[in-house]
Amino acid sequence: MKYRVLPGGDIDDKIIPVSVVFLDVKEIEKSGLSQDDAIRKVAATIQGPAAINVFDMDAVTTTSDGIVVEGAIVRMGASDNGKVNNEFGILPMQEIILSDELVEKEPHLKQWKKLFPEKKMFRGPNPKDKKIPVHNVVITGRASNNNSATEMMNIITMDEVLFPILGQLECMHHGDVLVGMTGQVISVGIGMTVAEMYGRVFPHPQFEAGDTAHGSGAYAKTLKQYIPCIVCDKKVIARLTIRALQCGCVPARDIGCSPVVLSIARAMGTPIDFDRITPAAQAELDSIGCTREWMKQTSHMTAEEVIAHADEILPGVEQAKKYHADDLLVEKEI
Amino acid sequence: MFRFMHTKLPEFIKKMYVAVHDVDDTKTMEVHGLESLHSAKMQSLRTGRIEEAVHEIAGRDDVKHVEVLVLPRVPETMHTVLIKGKDENGKTTKIIMEVINIIHPTEETEFDGCTDIEDRRPKLGLH
Repeated sequence: MKYRVLPGGDIDDKIIPVSVVFLDVKEIEKSGLSQDDAIRKVAATIQGPAAINVFDMDAVTTTSDGIVVEGAIVRMGASDNGKVNNEFGILPMQEIILSDELVEKEPHLKQWKKLFPEKKMFRGPNPKDKKIPVHNVVITGRASNNNSATEMMNIITMDEVLFPILGQLECMHHGDVLVGMTGQVISVGIGMTVAEMYGRVFPHPQFEAGDTAHGSGAYAKTLKQYIPCIVCDKKVIARLTIRALQCGCVPARDIGCSPVVLSIARAMGTPIDFDRITPAAQAELDSIGCTREWMKQTSHMTAEEVIAHADEILPGVEQAKKYHADDLLVEKEI
Repeated sequence: MFRFMHTKLPEFIKKMYVAVHDVDDTKTMEVHGLESLHSAKMQSLRTGRIEEAVHEIAGRDDVKHVEVLVLPRVPETMHTVLIKGKDENGKTTKIIMEVINIIHPTEETEFDGCTDIEDRRPKLGLH
């Protein structure tokens, strides 16, 4: 069984507090192991704390702001010095069943219905499978693999890294990633969610498009500001967000009003549902310069132009350096 | 009868010391993990079982010091946060209630490389 590991340590002075393992369900199937046994076998080979993520690259998932993308984490694990906690160390994600009723409740899923109706979808776990009351997290010893495997921590040193799903999928795709500091824009952006059942962060639908999960006013921009993050190349998030817009998704109505989504809609001159941006969300956006006036200063760039100029158009990660994922990850086999 | 169902916090701590010194009063002991608690009632049934375990550990020839460490059983705990505003006389004039969830390391961080571990805890949700 082959798998790849981002070793814990540091990248360009950015602390990576746990090792992160990328394990493909196809490799597990070839091995004949169960997913739980595969996680435990891989864990046994790793000294120190680790997050172990199992991917189904034939499935789809959503980003926190509601963009539907190919590739999903279907199970997550946390290990420390080779052990996986029996009660809190592994958690499966819940498969979501596509239906017209669901698309009505979660309108961002029109992307799924239009683009990939045949693919399975996974986002977060089912609360009935969880033993930890609130967060979608697995924990063993020092290692915490949180928010459905996108935020990893060493609970003793208290270091943390944000590893959003698009960054992890780029690692699976052997693409490029940006390693930097989360900064103010992403701190605000990760709060601009869509309401989902069995979501990555929230098990029940809570904060609809146009609202903020943070509700912290000017403090939202500081929440994760100084935490390292590993994110996808801006061209990738631009391409995927444009695809969502082309499926008829409107920011603040169907998909979240994150600064990245708003920046792309603004650059292309596509609609934004201003009336649905709540005062709490607008206050957070204002604090990083995404004011109502800024949103209304639109241009009419083509999709190709936005993707080509994504680095200038899209705000986000700070002090970032681009790496080819294969230069950061180590391939292993057991 | 119900007044015997839970044990006072200071009494719980004292019982741990007694359980060691009943065996050998030259052996030392310490209790950690309860420092931030001021008033609490400890489950009596488990207090008795913990006393028994402390007594057993203290009775071993290879033990000179006993450490009792209390960790969250579920490694995420939910806490109410009271933000109080007080006037110049110390009278509380405004309170905002919030919540915070705290993630803790699990027990493996305290195993110290020991391999002789006997887990006597009931499954989650059982006494």
